[in-house]
This record gives sequence, C-alpha cells and structure tokens, in this order.
Amino acid sequence: MSDTLPIEVALQAAEARLRSILQTVPDAMIIIDERGRIESLSTTAERLFGYSMGEVAGKNIKMFMPTPHREQHDGYLKRYLQTGERHIIGIGRIVTGQRKDGTTFPMHLTIGELRSADKHYFTGFIRDLTDQQLTESRLKELQSEVTHMSRFTALGEMASTLAHEINQPLTAINNYLRGCNRLLERIDDPAAPMLRDAIGKAADQALRAGDIIRRLREFVARGDSERRIESLPKLIEDASTLALIGAKENGIAVAFRLDPAVDLVIADRIQIQQVLVNLIRNAVEVMAEVNGVRELDIETRAVSDETVQVSVADTGGGLSPEVARHLFQPFVTTKQKGMGLGLSICRTIVEAHGGKIWVDARPQGGTIFRFTLRAADHHEEETLVG
Amino acid sequence: MGQLSRAVAIVDDDAAVRHALKFALESEGLNVRVHGRAPALLDDPELYRYGCLVIDYRMPDVDGLELVDALRRRGVSAPIIMITGRANAGMRERAGRAGIDTILEKPLSDSALSTAIHSALAAPPAAP
Ligand SMILES: Nc1ncnc2c1ncn2[C@@H]1O[C@H](COP(=O)(O)OP(=O)(O)OP(=O)(O)O)[C@@H](O)[C@H]1O
Ligand SMILES: [Mg+2]
Repeated sequence: MSDTLPIEVALQAAEARLRSILQTVPDAMIIIDERGRIESLSTTAERLFGYSMGEVAGKNIKMFMPTPHREQHDGYLKRYLQTGERHIIGIGRIVTGQRKDGTTFPMHLTIGELRSADKHYFTGFIRDLTDQQLTESRLKELQSEVTHMSRFTALGEMASTLAHEINQPLTAINNYLRGCNRLLERIDDPAAPMLRDAIGKAADQALRAGDIIRRLREFVARGDSERRIESLPKLIEDASTLALIGAKENGIAVAFRLDPAVDLVIADRIQIQQVLVNLIRNAVEVMAEVNGVRELDIETRAVSDETVQVSVADTGGGLSPEVARHLFQPFVTTKQKGMGLGLSICRTIVEAHGGKIWVDARPQGGTIFRFTLRAADHHEEETLVG
Repeated sequence: MGQLSRAVAIVDDDAAVRHALKFALESEGLNVRVHGRAPALLDDPELYRYGCLVIDYRMPDVDGLELVDALRRRGVSAPIIMITGRANAGMRERAGRAGIDTILEKPLSDSALSTAIHSALAAPPAAP
C-alpha cells in the first residue's frame, strides 16, 4: 500500500497542474475521450461556449457544434479510430462552433491526440475567429483571393453594364436604319440608291460600336468562371469568416441554420464566396446603423432535388424605397464610400450560375436576401468520388 | 385562326428599342404590337392570338424568363424569341430549361431577328 502513495500524490499534483493550466491558458481548450465525452474545459472555453464545466462534464462534445457536424461527429471519431485517417487532427481548420444560446461563430480548431496505456484523449485548441486579427494566414489567403477577384468582378460588372446600356441605343439606331433602308427600296427616285448606300454605312458604324463594346466585355470576362462541385456549408463557413471580421464588436449575433440535406452544389467557389461576402457585409453594415436587436441569420434549404436556396437575413432598417426601385442595378448606393456594385455583382454571378436572386422584407423588420444554386446530383457526386 | 396569327408582340422596357424594332419589322410588312412592361402583355386581349412573341430578358419588374413561365402557365403556346443585351451561360441554361431555343444578342446586328420571326411564324402552331 505504502508504495502506491507517491504515485497517487504525483497524480494529484499532475491533475492540479492541469487544472491550473486549463484555468489560465488564454486559448479555449477542450479535452474529450475517445467516445467524444467531455473530460475538461478551460476557463476560456467555458466563457466562449457559455457552459460551465459542471454542466457539460461527461456530455458529448457534439453539443458544441451545429448541424450537420452535430449529427456526424460520433461518426467522424469512429472513422478516425478505425482507419487512423486524419481529416482535422494535427491539421487545423476553420469550423463553426455553437454556443449554449444556440448562436454560432467561426472558429479555428486544432486537435491534438493523447494516448496513454489504456486511454485515448483528444485535445481541441480553439480560437474564436469572430474578432480575429488578420494574422491568420488562411484568412489572409481567402481574403486576397476574394478581394482580388472582387476588383476584377467590379471591373467586369462596369464593362458589362456599359455594354448593356450602350447596346440599347445601338439596337434602336440599327433597326431604325434598317427600316429606312427597306422603305427606300420602294421609292423610285434617283437619289434613293445613294441614300440607301449611306444608310447602310451608317448602320455598319452602329454595329462597329457594338463590336467594340463586345470586345471590351469579353476582355474583362476572360477566364470566366470555373464551376466545380463544392460543399456549400464549407463555402458559407469560409465566406462568413471573412465577412464577419469585426462583427462581434458591433454586437451582432450570427446564427447559421444549415439544412443537413444541403451539401454539394455546382459553383465557382470564389464567385459564390463573393456573393455571400457582399450580402453579409451589407447586412452587417445596415445593422451597424440601428440600435437594438442585431441578428444575422444565414440559412440553407433544399427547395427541390435540383435546387438549394441560401438566405441572408438581417434585423436592419430595411431597403430605402429609392434603392428598392433599382435593386440589383449597378451604381445604386446610400453609402458614402459604397460603389453600389455589391448587389449587381451578386446578381450577375448568381444568374451566371443559372440561379435567381431576390429580396424579401422580414416580417419583424429587416431584410432577407435569397438566392438559389443548383445542387450537385448523385450522379455528379459519384463521378467526383469514384 | 384570326388575322392576328401572323402578328408579333414585342416586350421591351426601352422605348427607343421597341419603337425601332416595330418600325424595322413593319417595314417588312409584319404586323407588330409593342409593350413596355410584362403585365401589359399578360393583359393584352390578343395574347393568345400572336404568332410569335419577342421578349427582352432584362426588365425592371420581372425577368424575361419569369414572364415566359407566366405565359406558359396561362397556356400561351406561341414560339418565343428572347432578346438580351448580355447573354451568359447561366441564362442560356435557364432559357433552355424553359424551352426557349432562340436567344439573340443586342444590338441585333444583321437580319437575325426578322429571320427568327419568319421561321417562328412559318412553324406549325404547337398544340396548346
Ligand atoms: N441588407 C440590406 N438592408 C438594407 N439596405 C440594403 C441592404 N443591402 C443593400 N442595401 C442597400 O442597397 C444599396 C446597394 O447595395 P450594394 O451592395 O449594391 O452597394 P453598396 O453596399 O452601397 O456598395 P458596395 O459596392 O461597396 O457593395 C446599399 O447602399 C443599401 O442602401
Ligand atoms: Mg455592398
């Protein structure tokens, strides 16, 4: 008996050390066992998720994550233990966490593994990305991709608006001249052939202007979109991480309601991220102006086998009537520094994907922007996997 | 078949464009009606008697394809030609699914529109 005593003392000392580490470590840290049960929680993690250690000890970690991961986490663990295949362990990823009050937030998660003789633990290190500085390299990379593309897209949007606007009068000119020419065919006058010739040449010049416009548009549209099969929850996760930088300081509560039936879609990743970033930024910007409730709800829904719907809802002041009349048109803005391009770019991108974008007023006040995307069907899924 | 079976209806929100198209097509002897807005076409008493409909894709209150849906739901079976200032792959896809195979890009250079209209009018009427 007496020889086990020193071990017990050592064990208690180790436990006390662990407790003090968990209390002081600035990162949120959670330790779970191999069945996902919570062993311990650092003080920062308690604060971050809104639970106390006492409330969650021994409970399944899945309550800290939203659907669909919540339902799938036990499976992830089991698969890892069986195959040893690493998807997140030692790699680190941006994922979504869910607080006690049901709201969710972007976070960076790294997982370490701890094996002792008979036990197997996982340690999660979590950084809340809601108010993350731009030091995170992944974030930087995302940001530079999306902002670079935004500049390009903005240019494209301007060129194509210009093309559209100028094509209208050109269409009118061309058709008036064609009509004139046809009427002149019936007029028997020595001057008629000369007139017809001149009118034909005028029409050619209108067409030439049209060609110049077309070339300009093709130039900025080059390299067009690269559509692939993408995971929509992942796109939303990345885009919201990017768009929500600083949102926490504004007291905005973000909630994700992602339909578990919605996963793969056919999309150009960067373009759809741009759409989401534009919509989320608009929502954050409009809510910064109001006092009271500031809630951002991002939702997905399967509307049919082929179509999914994404919505971004805010509790802001709603659209001004002037804006509503010209919604999705370029150069419409109520913001001092706005270019008024965000929504028109959204429309161009969504329509280029064969989807639709529209707006609904939120019954409780605020605005809901919705758009559709094509779901990748099972056939396409199989081709990708197989 | 009334005398309107050869008539063509055009919907375009740009006044100059629709008047110019009417002028050019009438100079060829076609019978043309124009509307500036989608609801005006839907309320047109002759709606079911046109031989061909020409619809602009981009309009303020509805997009051209929504108008096509509304027309088909009402049982309007005349061939439809879509005109647009900017066609893209997604729009062609949606148009294809809506059963439209003729999409013409402005500024409607050659005689593309009148050729398309003539072949639409020549086609045997689809069963309603
Ligand atoms: N969620 C929203 N609630 C209320 N108004 C909105 C919302 N989203 C957009 N708007 C209005 O629509 C206008 C146009 O938005 P859009 O994103 O196209 O341009 P912007 O935000 O002004 O500038 P930027 O080019 O930087 O995006 C905004 O200026 C704003 O008035
Ligand atoms: Mg904007």
